[in-house]
Order: sequence, then structure tokens, then C-alpha cells
Amino acid sequence: MIQFINQFPADKKFTYDERIALLRARKVEQTAQKAKNGGANEDDYGLIVQDEFDFKLEPSHPNGSIYGYRAWCSNYCRILQTHPLYVDPLDAFVGKGFLFLERLRPKDKKWNPDYPYDELQAIFNKYHIISGIDNCHHFTPDLQIGLDLGWGGILDKLKTERAKHDESHYEFYDAEIEVVENIIAFLTRCADELEELSGKENNSVLKANLADMAKMNRKIAAGVPETFKEVIQWLCWFSMLSRTYNRGSAGGQLDEMLRPYYERDVEKGILTDEDAIFYMACLFLQDSRYFQLGGPDANGNDMTSKVSYLALEAADRINIACNLTIRIHDNMDMEFFKKSVAYLFKNKQGWPRYSSDNNLVEGFMRCGYSKELARRRVAAGCHWMCIPGMEYTMNDTVKVNLAKVFEVAFDELMTLPSPSTEKLFDIYSKHLKVAVDATGAGIMHHLKYQTKSQPELILNLFQHGLIEKGVNITDGGANYYNMCVDGSGIAVVADSFAALEQRIEQENKLSYGELYTHIEANYEDKNGEYVRNLMYHSQRYGGGDTLGDKWAQKISVLYTSLVRDLCNQHKGVNFIPGFFSWSNTILLGSTVKATPNGRKKGEPINHGANPNGGFRKDGAVTSMCNSIAAVQPMYGNTAPVQLEVDPGIAGDEEGIEKMCAMILGIMKGNTLLNINIIDKDKILEAHKDPTKYPDLVVRVTGFTAYFAMLSEDFRQLVVDRILAVNGEE
Amino acid sequence: MKSGLITDIQRFSLNDGPGIRTTVFFKGCNMRCEWCHNPETICHQKEIMFYANKCIGCGKCFEICPAGVHKAVDGIHVIDREKCTLCGKCVENCYAEALVFSAKEMTSDEIMGEILQDKVYYTESNGGVTLSGGEVTCQKDFALELVEKCKENGIKTAVETNLLMPLESTKDLLSSLDLIMFDIKIFDNGKHKEHTGVPNTQILENAKKLDELGVPFIVRTPLIPGVTDDEENLVSIAKFLSPFKNILYYELLNFNPLGSSKYKSLDGEDKFENARPFTNEALKALEAKLSGFGVKIKVGG
Repeated sequence: MIQFINQFPADKKFTYDERIALLRARKVEQTAQKAKNGGANEDDYGLIVQDEFDFKLEPSHPNGSIYGYRAWCSNYCRILQTHPLYVDPLDAFVGKGFLFLERLRPKDKKWNPDYPYDELQAIFNKYHIISGIDNCHHFTPDLQIGLDLGWGGILDKLKTERAKHDESHYEFYDAEIEVVENIIAFLTRCADELEELSGKENNSVLKANLADMAKMNRKIAAGVPETFKEVIQWLCWFSMLSRTYNRGSAGGQLDEMLRPYYERDVEKGILTDEDAIFYMACLFLQDSRYFQLGGPDANGNDMTSKVSYLALEAADRINIACNLTIRIHDNMDMEFFKKSVAYLFKNKQGWPRYSSDNNLVEGFMRCGYSKELARRRVAAGCHWMCIPGMEYTMNDTVKVNLAKVFEVAFDELMTLPSPSTEKLFDIYSKHLKVAVDATGAGIMHHLKYQTKSQPELILNLFQHGLIEKGVNITDGGANYYNMCVDGSGIAVVADSFAALEQRIEQENKLSYGELYTHIEANYEDKNGEYVRNLMYHSQRYGGGDTLGDKWAQKISVLYTSLVRDLCNQHKGVNFIPGFFSWSNTILLGSTVKATPNGRKKGEPINHGANPNGGFRKDGAVTSMCNSIAAVQPMYGNTAPVQLEVDPGIAGDEEGIEKMCAMILGIMKGNTLLNINIIDKDKILEAHKDPTKYPDLVVRVTGFTAYFAMLSEDFRQLVVDRILAVNGEE
Repeated sequence: MKSGLITDIQRFSLNDGPGIRTTVFFKGCNMRCEWCHNPETICHQKEIMFYANKCIGCGKCFEICPAGVHKAVDGIHVIDREKCTLCGKCVENCYAEALVFSAKEMTSDEIMGEILQDKVYYTESNGGVTLSGGEVTCQKDFALELVEKCKENGIKTAVETNLLMPLESTKDLLSSLDLIMFDIKIFDNGKHKEHTGVPNTQILENAKKLDELGVPFIVRTPLIPGVTDDEENLVSIAKFLSPFKNILYYELLNFNPLGSSKYKSLDGEDKFENARPFTNEALKALEAKLSGFGVKIKVGG
């Protein structure tokens, strides 16, 4: 057990603010420790680094990995049987986790080798595609199912449904039943240990808190959570239990989920707003899970409630890496929106971010869904939306490297006489089709065999109708299959086409052959740097009605049509295009040689749908956002705007008003907006010595992370983005 | 269609009037303020600017210049501006963009092409377009054409002017704007002439006449250390402004140190290279001293 009892005098009293400050200080200390252990270019997850618990995987395969229901079930249950409890008596809740089972597998042995896809892999390698095969979670559970049933109710349901099915479903049911039984046993053990600690704690306030935690945990181990506080404790455990299994997944519409419990408890007189704020602050501290606030209900009415305001205030009090999304729509509560913008600039921690209801709903409806259903798709991940408990999506796991496809196409072009951008586009279209089709085939392969690799034993339990069907979510357990297929590197490709058209075809500055020689030499030959500058300073994507913008739109149309064509190739499965790279900008750029836009070999590709750095002399945010708006595929997934702004621009009430207008303007044509409020000098200083600012949070891509925890090259990327929109001065 | 000499178009401009704006910088000025932070806008003709930090040392400008303007003296790139005919060959071949022209001729339609791209932001923020400089009224006919085109497109307009031109000659332009921002830099006439090259009598007279036009306006004083920032100067201006009807507020603009690299690029001298912006505390103190004269005070950047 990891615990912090008896650290305060017996008679010390605590205000909520004191407890939050102490909890936050411990979090900052833990982050500093994580940073010392090396870079992690991803979400914080609330994971605790510790050396008390060292779990050893029991492989089910000679290659050292685990595959299928039985192996995942038995290893997960063994974790639960031995996983120590982490208790901070200052906290309102327990629920910290230490590891992800999925990451204990050998890195290159995730996919079950009995189900190979060598031919597809050859195509993935050629175009450097991240296929998503074997990637897990990345869809959203409906946690209301768990809150309504409790773990005991889920167990009963599993047993009842098992009895209705034949033995072909027993492997599923038996694994799920064993998992839930072990969860209940684990939570019961935690309650016992909390009770024991309560007996040992000397401080009267914390002793009472531990006793309360013990009682609450004993109740929800199998029972239905009934109060606001019990629900949040249940959510904390859900986070830990799902993360421990396979890192997933998102939380959903937090305010609406908590509202009925809040209203009931307030009416009963057992909950104050200060209590509610403290509990939600502890929830945010426990895990950096994605939650949406506000937005429309199925009928378009605004869902903002008192709980939405309290959630914002809770995030403000704890002020750490929070992944909160505010959904902007026509009937939005403007006061709530303005308050959120004020917090964004006050805390400078990258929360909240904003999604555009109009464009997302309209886009998703183009896939054939009703408006009511489209409105239920909540912000749930770095760049993605999902209907809780209804969809399987592979969101954010599939990346087609548009820049690598360009490299292959450009090499082929240069074997032909009289090269031109027209010919290049034809060749590019041909290769992109091969890449996208292979990606689609890869997704189908994943759907067919994922159960044999990694069944979703936790998230399966929170899908509508899945337990009744008795199958894993990839085997027909979901109501809808909306497969995400993201393109990465659109700006590199658009700028390359534009540079060729402008410099070679319009201005006759040089020939294709001359340029190709420089590219092959990575612009390091004679006159190479001179030519690189020529190409680099061409009309860029993001500049506003430039050649780069024109090409980006053309590529977006092409990519969108190719991805949508997958729906014809694989009936019953919906494929949705988007533009996003996640934190793969370095990885996906590493295999791409020099490109005609003046980018050198191995340099990162652009981030998401953002333009490349230096896209415009004044770095105008409006210009960049208009360009991104113009490449939105508009089928319900996003091409997010990643925005870095200086805190000075919203230093007063007028500045906040301007930022509100800016956000509303951006969201007219865009789908998702991630904002970093970063002092340029501070970030440069932190880049030199990350340990100096262990609590500096940046929104890296869709997720927020501690700057100090990023690897050096990734910190450099964040710094470059910030410099790009601060102009050249 | 007319064309104007424009040094820059800056979109997403937050400090040149209300809301989110696009600011169009006009070339040429009829004053010579010692502290000007946009020195590239002063001269009425375009010039070559050289940014040494961007130079990759390719030597193309040395090879290509027909007048031998570019030379290396003790390893430093020197431009003989006397000889330069502004043919533009060096700029055209400087792919690193270390050599650039300080301005370009643009038609109002070309400028509108940029302006219209951000219309949604002007609408959301009650922003618009600001004409700045340089001194906009030095190209007043072109400015009026641009303002009229903005109006046709439902875009609000503002101007930043030194108000030096006789008001009769700029009335058409000024009366068609939604907002006028002008400077009273120094109240003492002798000192004004010393530091800006012109007396302030016309400016103060125009200010009184402007109040009759009915267009709301903002008066600003750039805070230049040792020149404009003394209490006597600021109080005199605040008192002068107290009877005005259409003034929105009197704004103290913090010192802007960003002109240095531009002076260097033009081989000019930045007399205020070592000056620094005022701290928030100092600004607040000045603001407090100016309250009580019947005009709203604001401090800004």
C-alpha cells in the first residue's frame, strides 16, 4: 500500500482550499519525478510512478505476449489481486493506478501472429502508415450504464445473459464474469484497507475522511452509487480499472452525468456547492480524463447547468492538466462560455478547449445519422467525438502519412519526361488510393481478429446491448462502426505542390531536374540552401488564398473522397476522414526525405491540420484558422486547430471579449480548437531547463501534458509552434 | 482604380481599435517623430531593407546588382543607398528574404482580398479595418477609396492619424469613418517641433474641428521616456481634451521597442534603442494622475 497517513498534527483542521493546495503540491512533486524518469510524449493519465508493485506478465504465447479472452482476463485479474491501494487522506477519493496491462506486452508483439497481414504490412511500410491494427479502446463507454447497475448489477446481467446463450459465447461471458468478480473483490479489499488506515490515522479530520471513504467504497464495490460523492468515487475507480487494463477511455458528458445526483443531494441537504467543487477537483486530480461540458441535448437545448459552472470552478481550483471540452452551439449559455475563456487565460493550462456543434453535427449527419444521434457525439479524446456506449471507432489510432505518399509519388514523377504538378497530382492520387485502400483493409482485418489479440474486457461492459449479444465490441458488439481514418502531413504536401507550381511552372526559377538533384542531396549540395530558401518561401498553406491553400483544399477533397469510398468497399462499416497527427509528427516525418517545400530530410511533418511554421509573416491566427476551416472533410470527425497565443492579448476584460469573439469566429468553419496560452519567454526558459517549471502545462495535441515530461525534440516542436504564430519580429 | 503604397497588412490585429481588426499600414509620413517604431513607413518611396539575421551569405546580391550597391566591408554586408536605383534585382533573387522592399504598390481590390478573408471575425468582435501608417492622409484619396469599399462590404473602419493635414482636405475621409484615433504627442509647441519636426498648432486646431464632425474618436499619447511621459505634458493634454463631446477616451500608449531591427535594416539610427516599456505599476500611476479632468483615461499597448 502507498499511503500518507499521520503527516499532520492530530488536531489540525483543513479547509477545502488547503487540501487542494496540498494535493496539488504532491501532484507537482510526482510530475517532477516522472520528468526525471525521461520524456513521455503523451497524456499524464494520473499514473503514479512507484517501485512497490512490480507485476510480471504471464504470457500466453511463446513470443512473450498475451492474446485472447483467457490470457487478458487472467493477467488482469492477477493485477487486481495484488495491486496495492494508494491512499492520500487529504483526498476525497481513492483510485490511483500504477500501470497499463497493455504496455506490459513486448512492444512488437501486440498483434496475434496467428492472424498475419504481411501483404498489407508491405504497403503500410511503403507509405509509412500507422494502421491502428491492434490499437485498443479509442471509443467511448456510456458510464451511466455502470452508475445505474453498479458492478454487482453488471455481474448479475452477465450471468443472466450467459444462461441465455450457447457455449460459443461462454469464452466471452466467462472472461467478463471473472473480471467483474475480481473488480468487486479488489474494491472490497480497498474498503478493508481504508478502514484499517482510518484506525491508525491520528488526525481527527483525516481519520473521519478515511472512515467515510471506507464506507463509501464498501458500498460501491458491488452496489449502485447513489450520491454525488459516491458517483465520483465510482468514476475514479472506473478510470483506474480501465486505464489499468488498456489505457482507455474517455469520460463523456460530465455535467449531465452528475446533475441528477447533485440536485438530489442538494435538495436533501447533504451536499453544498463547496463540497461539489472539492469532489470534482479531486476527480480531475485523479486522472486527466476527457470530459465535455455544456453543449446541446438531443433536441438542441443547452445542457449547461449549475454543475457545469461548478466543474469549471473545480478545474480552476486544482488547476492542473485537465482535458475539458466546451461545446459551442447556437443556444449556448454565453455567460458560461465567457467564464470558460476567462479561466483559459487566467490559468494558462490549456483547458478548456472548444468543439463546434454545428460543423460536427452537420458533418456526422452526412454519414446518414439523425441530428439527435449526431448531437450525442461528445468530445472524448485528443481530436475525436463518440456517442457513449454506441460506437466502435478506432479514433486517433489510424494515420495515413500523406507526406510519405508524396515522396513516393514525386520519385515516380521524376522518372517520367516533362514532369508537372498536373502529372504529379495524378500519380499522387494513384498512390494515395493504394494507401487509403490498404488502410481500410487493415481496419477490416483489425475488426475481424482483434478479439483474438485484445478483447475490450472493460469497455465492453458499458456498451448498449453488447452484454445481451455476448460478443466483443469488434465482433458486432457495437451499434455503429464509424472508423476514423486520419491523414497526417497535409501542409507538407500542399506546400510542396505549391512550391513546385510557383517556382518551377509559374516563375521558371529552376527546373524539376535541378530541384530533384537538390532534394536528393537534402539541399546540402552547392546552392542547396539557396534553393531551399526559394522553395521554403513559396506561397504557403495558411497564408490565406495562396497556392498552398489551393493545393491543401484539393488534397482534402481527394483524401476525403478516397476515405469515403471505403464505405463502398466494405459495406456496413462507415469510414470517416479527418486530418490529425497526434504526437506522431516526429515519427511520421522521420522517414520522409527532403520535400519540395524546403523541408529537410527527417524533419517533422506539420501538426494535425495546422500549417507549417512560417506560414505567414504576421502569423495571423485568423488566416491560419480560415485555411484549416477550408480543408475540413466535414463528415463528423475533426481537423483540429492547434492555437498558441500569448497571454498578453487577453490581459483585461476587453481582451477576454476579443478572445471570445476569436473563438466564436474560428468555430464558424472549424470543428475543434485546442489553445495554449503561453508566454513565449517562459516557454523558452522552460525548454532550456524543464525542471524549473514542473507545473507548466501545455496542450500538446488534443491532450494537455506537463511540459517538463515531454522529450526534448517534442518540447522543441511546441516551442516552434509558439514562435510561428508570434510573427517574425 | 487607384493604388497605394503599402508597407504591410496585419491581420488579427488586437491593438489598433475595437475588436479583431486588419490593419493596413500606409507608406509615407509628414512628421519625423524621433521615436517612430515603424521607420519603414516614414519615407514616401519604397526602400530596400536588409535583415542580416536572415542572410545565408549566398552572395547573389553582390553578383546581380548592376549598380554595385552591395559590398562586403570587413566581412559586413554594406548597402550603398546613394547608388541604389531600386531596380529590385537583389530583392527578387534574395530567396532567404533578407533583402526586402519596405512597401509595395497595391490596388484597393488587392487589399480588399486580404481584408475580406477575416470578415467573420470583424462581425463576431465588432472589429473591422484600421488604416495606419505612416500617415494615412498622405494618401488620402486612396484611403477614401478603401474605406468606401469596406463600407460596401459592411466592414467598419478606423484610422490612426497624426491629424496634421488641414481638416478641410481630409474631411471626406475622416467623416466616412466609424472611428478616428489620433495622437497628441506633446502639448508644448516648441517641444513638439523639436521632437517631431512640426509644430502642433494645426493638430490642436484640427482636434477642435474634428469634434464637430460627429465621428467618435480616441486621442492617444505614446509614452516616450524623457520626451512625452512627464506629468505636465500629460495633464495639459488631458485638460485640453476635457471639453470634447465625441471623445471616447484618452489613451496612454506604452512605449513600443519593436522598431530597433527595422532601423538596423534601413541603416538608420534608433535613438531609443535602450528605452524600455513602462511597467504596469508606472502606467497605473500615470493613469491615476490624469483622472479628474473630465476625460476617461485608458492605458494600453
